[in-house]
Parts: sequence; C-alpha cells; structure tokens
Amino acid sequence: MQWVWGISIVAQVFVCSLLFLRGHFRRIPAFSGYIAANILQAGLLIAIYYQFGFGSRTALVLAWSSQAFLLLLRILATMEVLHLVLGPYRGIWGLGWRVLAGTFGVIVLITGIEAGRNISWALVLADRGFHLAFAAALVACLLLVRYYSIPVDPPYKVLLGGFCFYSCAAVLTNAIGYALSLRGFAKDEPVWQLTTITAYVGVQIAWAVALWKAAPAEESKPALIKSSIYRQISPQINDRLYVLNEQLNQLWRPRVTRN
Amino acid sequence: METEGHSKLNLTLLLLFGIVAALLLLLAWALRGPGKLTKSGASSSALEASDRPHVNFLPHIRQALDTSDYEFLAEKSTPAVQRRVRHERRDVALAYLSALQLEFEGLLRMARIIAGLSPEIVVMQEFERLRLTAKFIWRYELIRMKLRAGFAPLPQLDRLGNLISGLSVRLEIAVKELGERAALAAELASPRDRRGIGLV
Repeated sequence: MQWVWGISIVAQVFVCSLLFLRGHFRRIPAFSGYIAANILQAGLLIAIYYQFGFGSRTALVLAWSSQAFLLLLRILATMEVLHLVLGPYRGIWGLGWRVLAGTFGVIVLITGIEAGRNISWALVLADRGFHLAFAAALVACLLLVRYYSIPVDPPYKVLLGGFCFYSCAAVLTNAIGYALSLRGFAKDEPVWQLTTITAYVGVQIAWAVALWKAAPAEESKPALIKSSIYRQISPQINDRLYVLNEQLNQLWRPRVTRN
Repeated sequence: METEGHSKLNLTLLLLFGIVAALLLLLAWALRGPGKLTKSGASSSALEASDRPHVNFLPHIRQALDTSDYEFLAEKSTPAVQRRVRHERRDVALAYLSALQLEFEGLLRMARIIAGLSPEIVVMQEFERLRLTAKFIWRYELIRMKLRAGFAPLPQLDRLGNLISGLSVRLEIAVKELGERAALAAELASPRDRRGIGLV
C-alpha cells in the first residue's frame, strides 16, 4: 500500500507543478493551496507516525486534525471553482451557494445525529457523512449549472468532477471498510484504504491532463439585465406556463367522445 | 439479533451504493454540457419563425376535433373513412400537443436566459417554474403515449378558447419584446461571440 501512497504523492507534486508552471495558480489560488497542503500533509503524517507510532492516540488526533483542515481547504477550493463559473451570473450564484449550503447542511446534520448515536465509530461516520454531503451538494449545484445552461470551461469541469468522484469513492470505501470491521474482518481494512488512495491517484491524473494546457484567458463577463426586468417578466412567464399546463390538463382529462 | 444487525448493515450498504450510483450518474449528466432545448418530433424552426402562436390555430383544431363532424361521418361514411378520420384527428391532437410543448420550451428557455442574466432572482419563482415544468413533462409524455397507442379519448377543446382568450394582451406583447431582447443578450453573452468582443 505504501507504494500506492508514494505514487499519489508524486501525482500531487506533478499537479502542483502544473498549477504554478502553467499559470493556473493565478485563477485558482485556493485550489493550488489545497494541492500544496495535501503534499505538506503527507510529509507531516510521515513525521507524526515516525515520532509517535501508528497506534498512538497522539498520532490519531494529529492525523485527523490535519485531515479536518484539509477538508476545509477542499471546500474552499471547490467554492472557488464554482464561483469562477457562476460568479458572473450573480442571480444564479446567489441561488447556487444557497443550494450548496442547504444540501450540505441537511446531510451533515443527519450524519451528526447518526454519529452521535454511535460514539465509538463517530469519526468514521462523520468522515463518510462529510464526503456524502460534499458530493450531493456539488452535484446539486452542477445540476443548477446545467439547468441554466451556464457554460463551464473544460478544465473546471474536470476539477469539479474529480472532487465529486473522489468523495463518492470515499463514501463507498468508508462504508465497506466499516461493514468489514463490524463483521470481524478488520485486517482487510487496508485493502479498502488502498481503494481510496487509488481513486485519488486517478483523480490527480485527470486533473493533470486538464491542467496541462495553460490557464484559459479570462472571459468577458456577460451583460446583465436590470433586476426589475426579471421581477416583471418572471411571474408573467410562470403565469403563462401555468396556462399551458391547464391546456394540457384539458387534454389529460377530456370528455369522452362517442366513437 | 446478530442476523438483524447484519441485515440492517446490508441495507445501509445497499442504500449507500444506490445513492452513490445516482450521484455519479447525475454528475455525468450535469457535466455533459447543456442539453438540446428542443425535442425531436416537431421542427421548432417553423413555429419559431412564425409570429402566430398555436392559439391562432385553435379554431381550426376545434373544427378538426368537433364531435358533431365525426358523428355525421359515422352515419354517412364507411368504416374505412371513419378509421382514416380517427387517425387524422389523432395526428391533429399530436400536432397540437407538440405545439404546446414547443411553446412551453420556448418560454422556459426565455425564463432561463432572463434568470441567468439577472443580478438577483426570486427562489420561489424558480421553484414554481421547476414544479410547472415537471408537471408539464409528466403529463405531456403520458398523453403522447396514450394518443399514439390509441388509448386516450380524443380531447374536447371547448373550454380552451376561453382560457386562451383570457390571457392578457400586454403579457403577450411584453413577453415577445423581452424575448427578443433576452435572445439578443444571450447571443452577446455566448462563448462564440466573446472572442475579441468586449462586453460592457
């Protein structure tokens, strides 16, 4: 498993180099910071486990604390990319971040309640819950982007897709590892950890391919209309859509003709 | 009790697998890019090019679906002619259905463009539109399937005329004007046009 971890670090270093060499760090500084922090965390974990040993409580606390910090950075990095995509569309961005926060908040709350009922596995359940909330919130926001036909540059699609894919993989491996541990197959857990790291390596490779080209030129912002136009027209469009639904209702519930 | 615990665990695992699979499918669909806004089956170009909404064809459609006409035919003509008329009436109903759908999609497209270009949007308005869209798509597909399969009785359109004539004329004019302005704004905002063009 250690060699896979080594490959993961090499991949992250490569992605980090691309971010700085191709100039992407100027457009996505938070994402660049997240990748750099990942590399630093790897070094920190090596030092912690060397100093305190794998089974030590101190090592566990420090490792999970560094992981929590990384998760925060991941949220910031994702928000940064989403803001790049949706920021020029202020109204949609206003809706988008509310959808993100709402979806994330609800799932985290449910997870918190579940973890509270099972204190011995609280960290594992909280980790799974975070990744599930993250993936669901991101997908909800991307559905919004699709619904409003907001254009997304291909590199940013890959970054966002990579974040979501990794979170989904983490949810599954976490759930399977938890199930195996409960059934007395704890020694097989490293196999599932290997799966998580492999998924992360795959995401890093995809990001490296997406970031290979130089950063896209900053596009002009779309010309926004006045909000009074939206407030005037939107209800009228909804009324019209309602009438069309009523027309369809006439076809849905017709009087039967004698044929 | 151990079996009960294991089955609960299996259920949780299955649920999580299902949720993750759904998330990945939705992710793939969302990242695929904006879908085509018009469905196949009816060319939108003719209607979009036309200044006359489908409501202007309503008298003709009502005539085509008039039961007294059909009852007259049933008395006077052969079964073959009745069958042909029934098929043609069904085609008229399907064409009208397509026209409704095209108008619905056109309005949705306009609404999305306006919402996209507005600095602020009203969440309840957007959710209401989403609800109306889901309702329309569900009914539309069901009616279309039923008409094609010959299960649905042909519609009476008596009350439609009153509904449509109740529409505000100002809405029609305002929506048309803003549709043109929104389409122009969307053209200016499209990636194709951004190269080398500075937007204010």
